[in-house]
Amino acid sequence: MKNQITFSLLFLMACVSSAQLTVNGIVTDKSNVPVVGANVYLEGTYDGSSTDDNGKFSFETSETGTQTLIISMLSYEPHYEIGDVSYLQNLNIRLLEAVNSLTGVTLTAGTFEAGDNSKVSVLKPLDIVTTAGAAGDFVAALQTLPGTSTVNEDGRLFVRGGDAGETQVFIDGLRVFQPFNATANNIPTRGRFSPFLFKGITFSTGGYSAEYGQALSSVLLLNTTDVPDQEKTDISIMSVGGGIGHTEIWGDESLSFNTQYINLAPYESLIPSNQGIRWNSPYESISGEAVFRSKGEKGIFKLYTGFNHADLDIEQENINFEEFVRFELTNNNLYFNSSYKHFFANDWTLTSGASLSWDTNEIGLFENTIDIKETGSHLKLKLKKTFSNRFNLQFGTELFNIDFEETFRTPDGMQFKSAYDDQLLAGFVESDVFFSNKFAMKLGARVDNTSVLNQFNFSPRVSLAYQSSENGQFSFAYGDFYQNPQSNILRYDQNLNVEKTSHYILNYQYVANGKTFRAEAYHKAYDGLVKYNTEMPQFDSQFNNLGNGYASGLDIFWRDNKSIKDFDYWASYSYLNTKRDFRNFRERATPNFAPKHNISIVTKKWVNKLRSQIGLSYSYVSGRPYDNPNTAEFLAEKTKAFNNLSFNWAYLIDQQKILYFSVNNVLGFNNVNNYQYANVPNVDGVFERQTIRPAADSFFFVGFFWTISKDKKSNQLDNL
Amino acid sequence: MRRLTLLLLFLTISSLKAQDQYSMGMQKAMELWSEQKIVEASNMFERIATAEMDNWLPYYYVAMVNTTASFGEKDEQKLKMQLKKAKEYIDNAKNISPDNAEILVQEAMINTAWMAFDGATYGMTLSGKNVQLYQKAAELAPNNPRVVFGKAEWDMGTARYFGKDTTPYCKDIERALQLFATFKPETEFHPNWGKERAEQIAEECKS
Repeated sequence: MKNQITFSLLFLMACVSSAQLTVNGIVTDKSNVPVVGANVYLEGTYDGSSTDDNGKFSFETSETGTQTLIISMLSYEPHYEIGDVSYLQNLNIRLLEAVNSLTGVTLTAGTFEAGDNSKVSVLKPLDIVTTAGAAGDFVAALQTLPGTSTVNEDGRLFVRGGDAGETQVFIDGLRVFQPFNATANNIPTRGRFSPFLFKGITFSTGGYSAEYGQALSSVLLLNTTDVPDQEKTDISIMSVGGGIGHTEIWGDESLSFNTQYINLAPYESLIPSNQGIRWNSPYESISGEAVFRSKGEKGIFKLYTGFNHADLDIEQENINFEEFVRFELTNNNLYFNSSYKHFFANDWTLTSGASLSWDTNEIGLFENTIDIKETGSHLKLKLKKTFSNRFNLQFGTELFNIDFEETFRTPDGMQFKSAYDDQLLAGFVESDVFFSNKFAMKLGARVDNTSVLNQFNFSPRVSLAYQSSENGQFSFAYGDFYQNPQSNILRYDQNLNVEKTSHYILNYQYVANGKTFRAEAYHKAYDGLVKYNTEMPQFDSQFNNLGNGYASGLDIFWRDNKSIKDFDYWASYSYLNTKRDFRNFRERATPNFAPKHNISIVTKKWVNKLRSQIGLSYSYVSGRPYDNPNTAEFLAEKTKAFNNLSFNWAYLIDQQKILYFSVNNVLGFNNVNNYQYANVPNVDGVFERQTIRPAADSFFFVGFFWTISKDKKSNQLDNL
Repeated sequence: MRRLTLLLLFLTISSLKAQDQYSMGMQKAMELWSEQKIVEASNMFERIATAEMDNWLPYYYVAMVNTTASFGEKDEQKLKMQLKKAKEYIDNAKNISPDNAEILVQEAMINTAWMAFDGATYGMTLSGKNVQLYQKAAELAPNNPRVVFGKAEWDMGTARYFGKDTTPYCKDIERALQLFATFKPETEFHPNWGKERAEQIAEECKS
């Protein structure tokens, strides 16, 4: 009995009173300022408290032996003290600031993003499609950003003095070999991809990551959506065609597809385009895209596929011929892109993927036919390890294969073939280091080995960012970039070298309260540019790599969506000073695609009463250089400036039906793209010229978009 | 025999003690919350969560405290961190208790807070998610008053955004009120909120 009582007493003591110990101390940050409201507790127990206004804490515990004391606080790294409870007294704890992607410094030099991470995004997801004048082409929306030059008759991206071929497009990290629709000269093209399959768009105007190569100027990175939100069907009826799309979800798997038929004939018969052209059969295309996604516990698999068949038959004015010159084109394009991403337990991520494209063009020019076949493939493997939110490392390898063949046939049965084959093997390694919330660095390197030129290149890349104030930061980036000569050259001569640029970028960015300001100064040095001694590259041209050049400039971006209610606008200005000696230039000069000043202003207003979003965009491009053979100087004259004011109106008939109307160049500015001079002078010894103008000054578009979904709420506002 | 009794006694007492600690802790945290001591309440729930790894409730409350605190929060950085934390904890709650309608409703609340903060940026991606969350919650617990009310309030908000009539949803609010009247939470700490807000909206419906 006695024993039992003793035991019980002991037991109760152990259980209830067990010698309460006090744990106490003070929590401060690295500059000794008390941290208020930090959570301090013994791991796995209820014992703990929050720090008071002086950063002090104190609590009692009945725990004994070795324990872990955790101190946690938003925006600081968690802190652990491990030791015997009796020693956890009068502690002096200093918390380290957590490196935080929301508030900390970001590596942004040269990069624009569209997405919902507002720290680095200058465009919101909707902007890509609600920008007046863009008409659903996300490439056109990107042309409102600084660093791009509007080349009205082309439609592709010309970045910082580079020509369109210097920009590469990637979907989920894999190369897209023909990102733009095939078209005729002087008829602007559009991106092949519908924006609504993508969740994020990163547009780099220079100094980009070592993961990407074979682009002298710029990369455009598109990421497909991981998991669609809901099942729905989209129907669109437009003045230029129609389309249907559907998304189906089964648990962790989903399939989205959309298909579109475009025919410009009805529009052309109503409002003919007749400035220097005659359509025999206007642009007609049928295209489709599908994405299949499967999400597992540890990984995600995606398969994207797109096909496009397009036809056009056009006659164009040409100063060298009495008659209009006929140009017929049939293009077929099939593209696959599949990727798999696997997340391992210890913060390793593996990304692997392959893309494959077949592209054929059948061209009829005069009586001749030209057949072009291009097959491209890209294989990639990448590993990434996140050691902490301060340090990560990624490395990978990739293989590109390009097979190009052109057959030129004359009506009398003559046949000329030109072709090349290239295997390009590359490897890259890159690391992000965040020294603190104020200072970060990205350091990378890339090696390329191309079989067609039998050449090996090493490109270093570095980018630094320093946060100078709460909302402002400076960034610097440097990198070397190599690219093989374009296929129009490689198919005639494979004894050339790769072309090279070096980028130097200095950037200042200020983001606060719905306002974004960016200014970026850059210098690009070009070396090893290909030159040839004929009008166009051809089988008997003599090629060399003696070309070179530079581009320097200043890009400014301003956006404000808070100051005026329901009103959002942004403005871009680009100054470009560039000269180069390349192609068949007889001396260094500013090329035709590089205007000195580019201004874009985009505005959007949501009018609740009218249930409408109204947008207005204006762009100004200073005169573009052209060469007048009647003068001694080379490329010394300039066209008049380009002006365009575009308007769009999206009206919500109800939550799922939208009526959309847009006009390009509302004010009907008579823009001039270029001048074409005769090859030979006339009897007076003067080279005559003709003005190359857009096929039509203005373009109208009307569409009706209807979404059918279970929730009866979603609509295609984001697809417009 | 005696030893066995003692052992049993010991086990019961220690489990009672744990139970008791949990109730006391939860009660204390609720008190702090009702006194508007947001940080202390969140910290307390967080401590309980780390001690009770298999119980979704403390995780749920960390998320809820931080979400409700972020409505009307002016400091952008603070708001973002609170909502990030809320998401982290609701994800944990989801891992402990999958297919739980209460957790899905809370997750939708976090999305709503993001959209209330910046509709243009988050509306497009998150509104679709909320539609799905409410749909799934309604499948799991069609008679849970918070599910019915949350969905109705969300539908009303969307209708208002598109300049539509909100009255069709008033009958859903009425139905939620009836469900609230008979709702019995599983324990005193299981979610049991929303009635007052529903009454308020019902009033607005009548006026």
